[in-house]
Amino acid sequence: MRQGGGADGGSGARRHNPLLAFALRRLGSGALLLLLVATATFALVSFAPGDIASRLSDPRIPPAARERWRQHFGLDRPWPERYGEWLGAAVRGDFGTSWLHHRGVGAVLGEAVPRTLLLTSVGLLLELAGGIALALSQIRRPHGTADRTITVVTLAAYAMPTFVVALGLVYLFSFRLGLFPASHLLSPEGEMATGWRRVADLLHHLVLPAVAVGVAGAGAVARYVRGSLLDERTQGYIVAARARGCSQWRATLVHALPNSLLPLITMVGLSIPFLVSGSLVVEVVFAWPGMGLAMYNAALARDVPMLMGGTVVATVAVVVGNLVADIAYAAADPRIRL
Amino acid sequence: MVGIVQDVTTFNEYQWSGDSYELQIIGLMFPSLMVEQPDYSLHPPSFAPSLASAWEFSQDNSVVTFHLRQDARWSDGTPVTAEDVRFTYLVQKDPRISSPGLEIKDFITDVEVIDRFTAKFHFSRVYPYQLMDANDGHVIPAHAWGKVPLEKWESTDFEPILVTSGPFRLASHSRGQTLVLERDPDWWGSPRPNLDRVVLRVIPDVSSQLNQLLSGDLHLLELIPPREAGRVRAHPDLELIAQPGLLWGFIGWNNRDPVFADRRVRRAMSLAINRTALVDTAYHGFAKVANGPILSSMWAYNKAIQPLPFDPEQARRLLAEAGWRDSDADGVLDRGGRALEFDLLYPSSNPIRHDIAVLAQADLARVGVACRPTQVEFTSLLARQESGDFQATVTAWSEATKIDLTSAWTTPSATQGSNNFMAYSNPEVDRLIAAAREESDHTRAKVILDRIQEILVDDQPVTFLYEAQQLTAISRRVGGADINPLSVFFNVQDWYLTP
Repeated sequence: MRQGGGADGGSGARRHNPLLAFALRRLGSGALLLLLVATATFALVSFAPGDIASRLSDPRIPPAARERWRQHFGLDRPWPERYGEWLGAAVRGDFGTSWLHHRGVGAVLGEAVPRTLLLTSVGLLLELAGGIALALSQIRRPHGTADRTITVVTLAAYAMPTFVVALGLVYLFSFRLGLFPASHLLSPEGEMATGWRRVADLLHHLVLPAVAVGVAGAGAVARYVRGSLLDERTQGYIVAARARGCSQWRATLVHALPNSLLPLITMVGLSIPFLVSGSLVVEVVFAWPGMGLAMYNAALARDVPMLMGGTVVATVAVVVGNLVADIAYAAADPRIRL
Repeated sequence: MVGIVQDVTTFNEYQWSGDSYELQIIGLMFPSLMVEQPDYSLHPPSFAPSLASAWEFSQDNSVVTFHLRQDARWSDGTPVTAEDVRFTYLVQKDPRISSPGLEIKDFITDVEVIDRFTAKFHFSRVYPYQLMDANDGHVIPAHAWGKVPLEKWESTDFEPILVTSGPFRLASHSRGQTLVLERDPDWWGSPRPNLDRVVLRVIPDVSSQLNQLLSGDLHLLELIPPREAGRVRAHPDLELIAQPGLLWGFIGWNNRDPVFADRRVRRAMSLAINRTALVDTAYHGFAKVANGPILSSMWAYNKAIQPLPFDPEQARRLLAEAGWRDSDADGVLDRGGRALEFDLLYPSSNPIRHDIAVLAQADLARVGVACRPTQVEFTSLLARQESGDFQATVTAWSEATKIDLTSAWTTPSATQGSNNFMAYSNPEVDRLIAAAREESDHTRAKVILDRIQEILVDDQPVTFLYEAQQLTAISRRVGGADINPLSVFFNVQDWYLTP
């Protein structure tokens, strides 16, 4: 660190800070990946049958209007030319205007991404907390009644399609028991409210969709953690801890659990793209207008600027997610070198 | 509280918007010169005063003078004037704004401002739909929106500069979620609305919509799926309104296709399909068989036309006449080594059209025709129809109350676009449609339209299938509602909510 890490510190940084060098390398290849994905997406959208003007199929709309739309949006020009324009603007941070919403792509994504992040990150927390809690309660008496029952439940949760879970939750907790609202971010009253009442209304609305997001994953996490906890219990260091008088519970919780959670880091890292792109099924059932719905509608309408903007966000999430997972892995396990 | 499938994407209908359902919501906030009356079963629609309190035709009928109310105000207090009416017309006619109005206003050559509250519409010809075409599209505020250059309209968010003049105004809008409209206390029209608020909730999922309707969260829901109508009808707090709608469906045959270019084959297809049973099954009784190209609820419908019966025997004869025989005894007809088989396309998002395709497949199989129901994503399907890349497709059109058969049934020209994706072409029909369009008197036009309907039924460019009923569910707590196919909010001012 004698050089102080100035602008010329590229090689110095590599020598002194392998983490930074690793991150830079990965970000470099990430940028290349982004370019590839963007090009492929643009080409795919261009070759897909139909365009935004195809939707004007109402016989009341004169057919000539379709041709005017195509001209206006430049769809009569070859795709590489349009892609070049898009790319030129995009590197300057201008993602254009959504053809469907008549607003900046950034503004539309700026609404959708936080809504999705809220839903998926709470869902992921529930997934992890629920999964680990289930695994711990199973491990108390492996192959006992509780363990077997929970095994069946977690397998079922893992296997059940999300829309079944979502509709089941709505039916039970909303229509039968009336505990939670069936859809939307806020009630009409909540929209008018401010401060804590608004937040409380939002959280109330968040419960069912977040659970729907987390259920399948919780099943998977439980299966995973249970398995690796069983493995760890027979390892020498646990046997040694037990021999020194450590309680079974403490040995599991304090010594075995952290080690068996290691693979979960990869799992969480890989689910970061999902955090951003969201779950279409949950968003549709719960009228939760996040990225899933935004991209679905954009795809149906062939709204090219929106599709490209969403693709960029999702790809960046993949790159960053993988990077964060690798770094976290290295931080958690000293044996791993970057 | 009203359930809607999708949020409005714009409050400016001239902003490259293709969705007609948005117009119903926009109509709550923007004025039009007149209000179209739901009397299209008797004659071309008549109109009631709205922003225009009176209007008169010139001696030769080529000019219509509209007298505007002098008490009409925009929500910012500015009067609604003839300048707004002219501005609206200029926007509709401007090619930089891709408004359908460009063609609708074809025969309106100018809108002249006589004084603040008088506007003259000049027409290049005299025809039955002059008032309708003059009235088409809501009037927009020139003083507020005229500041935005027209080439910027497509990429402009008009919500921050929203200036309205309707029974309701925008109270709050959470995108993709909730649209709250509140009564505008300064609205000039009559009667004044009883309801304080109209809340529109975006619920993309149909089963979620129904659940919220049945649990009492929604007071009004349009487009009830026919298979769910029974549940709505059985609910003590809900009323199911089933009335003839404007949607009609058909199997479109590609008339360019060597197989379906033959009129006998198209007729055989229609004869082989038990349309009554098919429509009853697919629509659970909430549709009737369509006979021809004009809805039976319209004044111009030819009551004398003879729809094709269900007659598989005659279908077999026609196919044999056309040279189709089962020479290899595999149960499927063939001609010159080619089997009579095709893909019947339908949109993947539409379960009713799936049912129709499957039912048609079964009927056609009985006369030795192999039809393969094939689902295609909706936009892709529209694109394939447009480019002619199909043999047969289950599709539907929402009809306008202005009867003009030009874009759907005249020979598609290479230069102008057309909705006649079937590429049906009959010079006599072309001639008659042009004549009907020229005709200034609707009773004389009816004679021509009757003949066109006879020919189209004979030619069967498509197999006419169904006229769907429009199913609307409304809570019994809502009183005074006169729901009609033109607009669910037709008389929203008269609605009231009982506890």
